[in-house]
Amino acid sequence: MTASTEPGVPDLATVPAAAATAPVRRERRTVASYLFMPLFLGLVCLGLYLYVQSQELDSIEQRSLNASNIGKALWEHIQLTAVSTFFVIIIAVPLGVFLTRPFTRRYRGILLTVANIGQAVPTIGLFALLAVLFFFLGFAAAIVGLVAYAVLPVLRNTMVGLQQVDENILEAGRGMGISKFGVLRRIELPLAVPIILAGVRTALIINVGAATLAAYINAGGLGRILVAGLSTNRLTVQIVGAVLTAVLALLIDYLAGIAEDVLRPKGL
Amino acid sequence: MNVRSGKASVVVLGGVLALVLSACGEDAGSGGGGGGGESGGGELDGAELTVGAKEFAESKILAQITAQALENAGATVDDSSLSGSATVREALEAGEIDMYWEYTGTGWVNILGNTTEDLPEDLFTAVSEGDMENEIAWLPAAPMNNTYAIAVSSAFAEDNSLKSISDAAAYLADNPDDGTLCAASEFLNRDDGLPGLQTTYEVEFSEVVEVDLGLIFTQLGDTCNFGEVFSTDGRVVANDLVVLEDDLEFFLPYNAALTMRQETLDEFPAIADVMAPISEALTDEEITALNAAVDVDGETEEDVATQWLEDNGFLE
Repeated sequence: MTASTEPGVPDLATVPAAAATAPVRRERRTVASYLFMPLFLGLVCLGLYLYVQSQELDSIEQRSLNASNIGKALWEHIQLTAVSTFFVIIIAVPLGVFLTRPFTRRYRGILLTVANIGQAVPTIGLFALLAVLFFFLGFAAAIVGLVAYAVLPVLRNTMVGLQQVDENILEAGRGMGISKFGVLRRIELPLAVPIILAGVRTALIINVGAATLAAYINAGGLGRILVAGLSTNRLTVQIVGAVLTAVLALLIDYLAGIAEDVLRPKGL
Repeated sequence: MNVRSGKASVVVLGGVLALVLSACGEDAGSGGGGGGGESGGGELDGAELTVGAKEFAESKILAQITAQALENAGATVDDSSLSGSATVREALEAGEIDMYWEYTGTGWVNILGNTTEDLPEDLFTAVSEGDMENEIAWLPAAPMNNTYAIAVSSAFAEDNSLKSISDAAAYLADNPDDGTLCAASEFLNRDDGLPGLQTTYEVEFSEVVEVDLGLIFTQLGDTCNFGEVFSTDGRVVANDLVVLEDDLEFFLPYNAALTMRQETLDEFPAIADVMAPISEALTDEEITALNAAVDVDGETEEDVATQWLEDNGFLE
């Protein structure tokens, strides 16, 4: 069930349909299903560790594949993902609320276009642009590029989530004398939470992947290991960079899934 | 062939027709195809070859020079692969292309998987012998040496009277905070890059800014005082930069050489004869000027190659 196919939602024509992802409604998971993913990822990491241990590393490979370098790259990557997603949320959710209020109807198209452009421009292009035009490099520049890229799914899902709330419920709320803000806070937002969270989850995954490109503008991350492997043609290094990025993406997706389960209002 | 203009393909088509006709006229002796006939200057009549390139200007210029010289000697060259790709070595081994220009230093470290701690005296011989195992032949290397270099803006060099890397090391010992270096990933990870440089010159760069290779030129003099560049890059002069002399001869030689599959060379040994004088003429000065014509003045690799071959009398 995708929110955009929901009948009776007024303004969805302005919202491109494909990216509005809503969570599949499902039963609360069993303990065993919660354990599967961490166990699987743990096994992947163990396998990777044993594989690297079995290789004889030359000085180039050792420079990338040592505990302190990998730990540093991993931490940088987590920071890039977390900070960029934080800014995505504090920009996109209020903006989504703002754009679904009736009085902002005429700005809707323009702001959605801006968000669309952010996602249409490739991240690496944006990074290069920041570096060449503004001499803007490093962590902050990477955050700007990542946020621009990931704002759209959260913004779109916030809008879709709010718009799909049944008009009759809002009507009933107003009829009970609840203020506009009260209706938003106590009825609309709680009902939109599952769809907003799905957007945040999408943004997180986008950011984990796109953050590998931050290596090109001095912002580090697992991309540093990946690029080092590619530029020196060292397969083992490439594999470690790629597998760790994939493991991190799956882990973050898993944690976001748990957050969805926990934060989803009871009874939905 | 579809890369070319219509006019050029008509010419090539005409050439192919002429070849077919002349082959029919004489006898159908297209077996080995090696030495061919002296008449018409076509040592490579009947050869159908593909020249590949890496994805930067110098490699594409070298590929164009090669393609045009081989065509001049009678070969038919499919230039659809001349645009350059990152996987050119794999393409060579797989037989998708017949030849491309590779660098001795790259051959030693990236292809043969060695490090520079065990660097041989004669790198070219070691690389060409090592690559025989893979059935890849290296034609004699050109004098041009596109190695790593450390560049600074000419103003910075003048203000602090820096001419060599030793000067820079001495300067940085007194002004440690000025040691900002812009460099790309490969340089930072290789023994013959930053790690070895710092040991050899006993210098420490206070801050290393890892960026994409193409961004270094714009950042030099702004984000960084020092930058990693390639010695034959045309943009060094165009951006008013000065290359610091490697006075301790630390950087590995990166002489360019045409590499091809051994079977191609066995089939058409005349390729080596055609390319020998051209390779010899490719000095640092020559290739740097050609690179600048493409990277700075915006000319096409094809035009630059034609002009150079004509100026040096390699085209009839």
